[in-house]
Amino acid sequence: MGQSGKSEQKPKAAITYYPGCTMKTSATNYERTALAVAKNLGIELNELDDWNCCGVVATLAKDDLMHQLAPIRNLRRLQEKGEDKVLVLCDMCYNTLRQSEQFIQDNPDKLATINAFFDQEGPYKGGVKVIHFLQYLRDEYTFEKLKKKVEVKLKGLKVVPYYGCMLLRPKGCAIDDQEEPRVLKDLMETLGAEVVDSPYKIECCGSYNTVEQKELVAKRTYRIVKAARDQGGELIVLSCPLCRFNLDERSRLAQEMYPDFVPLPVMYYTQLMALAMNLDPDMLGLEKHYVDPRPLLKKKGFLHTDAAETEMSD
Amino acid sequence: MILIRGYPEYMRESIANVEATRAARLKQTFSAMSLAERDEVLNKFHPDYKPEGKRRLKIGQSTDEGFPHELANLLEAHPLVQPGDVDLKQVDYDVDILIIGGGGAGTVAALWAIREGISPDRILITTKLRHGDANSMMAQGGIQAADRANDSPLHHYLDAIGGGHFTNKPDLVKAMVMDGPKIIKWHQELGVMYDREKDGTFVERHGGGTSRMRMHSAKDYTGMEIMRVLRDEARNLKVPVQEFTPAVELITDDKDQVAGAVLYNLETSQYFVCRAKSTILATGGYGRLHIQAFPTTNHYGATADGLVLAYHVGARLRDMDSVQYHPTGAAFPEPLVGLLCTEKLRSMGAQPVNKDGHAFVYPLEPRDVESAAFLRECYGKKLGIETLTGLQGVWLDTPMIELISGEGAIWKNLAAMARQFKRFGVDMVKDPILVCPTLHYQNGGVEIDPTGATMDIKGLFAGGEVTGGVHGKNRLMGNSLLDYNVFGMRAGIAAAKHAKKAHVGKLTLNHVKGYERMLKEAGIVTDRKAPMVLPEYRGTAALSRALDLDL
Amino acid sequence: MTEETIREAKQEVLGTITIYIMGKGYEVPSGLTIMSAIEYAGYKFVRSCGCRAGFCGACATVYRKETEHKLTFTLACQTLAEEGMYLVQLPFVPAAKSIYDLDKIELVGNTILEHYPEIARCVSCNTCTKSCPQDIEVMKYIQAALRGDAARCAQLSFDCIQCGLCAMRCPADIKHYHVAQMARRLYAKFLAPKTPQLDVRNKELEDGKFDKELDRYEKLDKKELVALYKARDHEEGDSS
Repeated sequence: MGQSGKSEQKPKAAITYYPGCTMKTSATNYERTALAVAKNLGIELNELDDWNCCGVVATLAKDDLMHQLAPIRNLRRLQEKGEDKVLVLCDMCYNTLRQSEQFIQDNPDKLATINAFFDQEGPYKGGVKVIHFLQYLRDEYTFEKLKKKVEVKLKGLKVVPYYGCMLLRPKGCAIDDQEEPRVLKDLMETLGAEVVDSPYKIECCGSYNTVEQKELVAKRTYRIVKAARDQGGELIVLSCPLCRFNLDERSRLAQEMYPDFVPLPVMYYTQLMALAMNLDPDMLGLEKHYVDPRPLLKKKGFLHTDAAETEMSD
Repeated sequence: MILIRGYPEYMRESIANVEATRAARLKQTFSAMSLAERDEVLNKFHPDYKPEGKRRLKIGQSTDEGFPHELANLLEAHPLVQPGDVDLKQVDYDVDILIIGGGGAGTVAALWAIREGISPDRILITTKLRHGDANSMMAQGGIQAADRANDSPLHHYLDAIGGGHFTNKPDLVKAMVMDGPKIIKWHQELGVMYDREKDGTFVERHGGGTSRMRMHSAKDYTGMEIMRVLRDEARNLKVPVQEFTPAVELITDDKDQVAGAVLYNLETSQYFVCRAKSTILATGGYGRLHIQAFPTTNHYGATADGLVLAYHVGARLRDMDSVQYHPTGAAFPEPLVGLLCTEKLRSMGAQPVNKDGHAFVYPLEPRDVESAAFLRECYGKKLGIETLTGLQGVWLDTPMIELISGEGAIWKNLAAMARQFKRFGVDMVKDPILVCPTLHYQNGGVEIDPTGATMDIKGLFAGGEVTGGVHGKNRLMGNSLLDYNVFGMRAGIAAAKHAKKAHVGKLTLNHVKGYERMLKEAGIVTDRKAPMVLPEYRGTAALSRALDLDL
Repeated sequence: MTEETIREAKQEVLGTITIYIMGKGYEVPSGLTIMSAIEYAGYKFVRSCGCRAGFCGACATVYRKETEHKLTFTLACQTLAEEGMYLVQLPFVPAAKSIYDLDKIELVGNTILEHYPEIARCVSCNTCTKSCPQDIEVMKYIQAALRGDAARCAQLSFDCIQCGLCAMRCPADIKHYHVAQMARRLYAKFLAPKTPQLDVRNKELEDGKFDKELDRYEKLDKKELVALYKARDHEEGDSS
């Protein structure tokens, strides 16, 4: 509401964005909502061209240079394009890229070996900052500013923030307090939701064990989701596609293993942001979830579409 | 010898002429020849019309036309396998359908035989090299099919039969043009990546002698794209394939049918007796015979084996007096001599140009006419460019393609060729390429009927380049890929139907005895043996010291 | 123009070089391809020779120059033999191929990954790209396959001649060219735009729309055919 009647045109913040494989396959709803939210906030996310799979898990061996190639190749590409930072959505990708950057900072001799391997492509000199979207929203955009963009307060929605591991461990990667993180809590409160704490919010979901040892993961699913429900939570909010898979999709197996188990719907923070910012509900991609969040959201008045309801009751 | 961007100085001088006339030639249209003018240039300059290049056979079913000497020498030769050499009582493979040749026609035949109800494990494809090693893999420019609304099988029929000098077998041409759109649809279902516009319409171009734009392409790898999809499908269906195992003689039975073949493992020297209810010849062409010492576009194994096998059992070969020379084989640099430079170059606007920089012929005459015109320009009018090895060629002004279709058109549509030339130092985007006629296609071959059965030889079918009658005395571009698909399909179906009711009798090689008798009675005394299987390219220095110690 | 004539001419003009075929030295005329040079030395190819033109991948060759440590990967028919080349050929690659029925596949994001789970092991080392004689960005197309982008995988891999050098060098044992073949078929069948005109024409053929006229053409004598041929109108619009 400027005096002059001319709207103020703030320059759009532009940042290169690294998607990772899951954003293009099983977490397209996360990417879609994130990009829509970013656009609405005036943040320009430009997808890195010629990116490759991040390598998925940071290698634990100190001398396994082969598995540093995948993440470092991406960092090298960014540097080649003149970028000194990259924004990441997927927690796994964030962690892998971030740890690799740390690894080469700590081991210049290993970097030299890797660069010798990259002889035809040109070296990586180090120095690209890897930032998670949550970090960016909290530190650069700020939740103060975000509050102004909330059109639909998520009043009465009892959300349980779940962090898992990748944004908190190891120390060098942590974007928040490792024992008592609060970024999701603060974000949810900004959106007007009622935050319920859970003692298992930083417990590992089981991660890649979901491939070979599903039952191990389902056991954790049971524990983590039950605790959230026992604390009074109605919906779990998180940021990692693998955690989403383990807490949502693996609920199916947990139900088989534990007859008393009643799952909770699990959503990405960007989907909730999209709801709160009153963006197009058709792009939320909620049909991709195993535990359908739509009945709950409809009941609370945040969703008005005629979404088919599953037999999951809360 | 100094090379300037791949070309020696003296060629650079000629290229300067080409560059000087390019702007004017972009606007010039050279008119096509009349039928009479076509006949004149063919008679005077086409190698087929040189009587000293061919002779009539003294034996067999086809003694009425001239055969190139190189082929006649293989037919007037002793069969490799004599009856006493092999024990036919021990049958190593017993199948419904034996397919000799693992190229396009052979693979298509297998796929359609399976659709006709033959179980894959009752089929055997046997091939002298690997599955897919065939001229089919090397075809570049396109496959004709009359699927556009402004086109029809009738237009296609006329184009094909006129291009063939009206000597094609009408029923075969009819079958080919009718099945064109069906083949394209089948390819689409198999997942062949044809070039398309954004709305899905196929990109279709002209070829030499076409009245409608109906050449479907997959960049300039059309043959490769189709062949590798067909091969992948055959592998998915687990069609048995024996590689490096040529058929070296057909087997007949006591009911005068073809009943299979003697196969030979090139790596272990072991022979195998394969009994089959139906046998399909899909052995391809004969470029490696280097007829009249021409270089060739063909693959390593194109040695006319199928013709030899068929002739041994009494098949009729037709139109063997007509050999297709592709007008634009590469003439320089040496490693590329003879290799195909697709007709698509001319479809996209590259003009043939002589050493003084002048256009001298309509770029898209049918191939025999175009080749003869090039030979006339070089050897008649002495306006060609000579290479270091004495070969004469003309320029094909490829930079014109980019001027017409925009920058990047060559690498987008003709990447295979651009890459070939780049490997040897020539940039066809900036400079014209040197071309000359090269031995390309066997126009004639084993005569078949529209079902793919050979005439009068029970149990023997054929499809693809080995057959005769489809193209008459000159094949149009894009009809050979169509030919192997249509007649591979038909032969596969016919072979399947036959196999379901055939009964094979006692296996024999009596026809070999008969052939030897014919040779003797005709007074043919020779050391030659056939089929050739693989050409001899070993250095004469090394060969002169070769010693077979039978270790 | 026979092989022998070419070789003699080259020797005269360009002299000779020494190459090492699987470690054994041979003097050959300069200016020949590796393939021709090997034949000149007295080897008759059974394996490792196919189209002789760079389309079939049969002649995959690995060589090292005398003073170098680097291995180079190429096709014998498309590379000039050079002084001091130590070479060997790769006639066969034992790569497993997924057996699938294209008609039964439902194309989703991880279809290719399901058939070739080893692509998830890609460490992005780019060795495959460096081994490709066709300048294909092999690693890129594997990455595209990994993220379910069959279209991009198809387009990037199109020029693949399936020589197998990538598969033999890959530390993750990926069979790149089989992955790409599947992606291309999936793209062409499920994703590429289609034209209804093809079905229109096929229906017309099935309904016999052209039967009568074609039967008539089949029976025409040469004179009538020539007349029809001459009267053909030519569709303009090519060379573009």
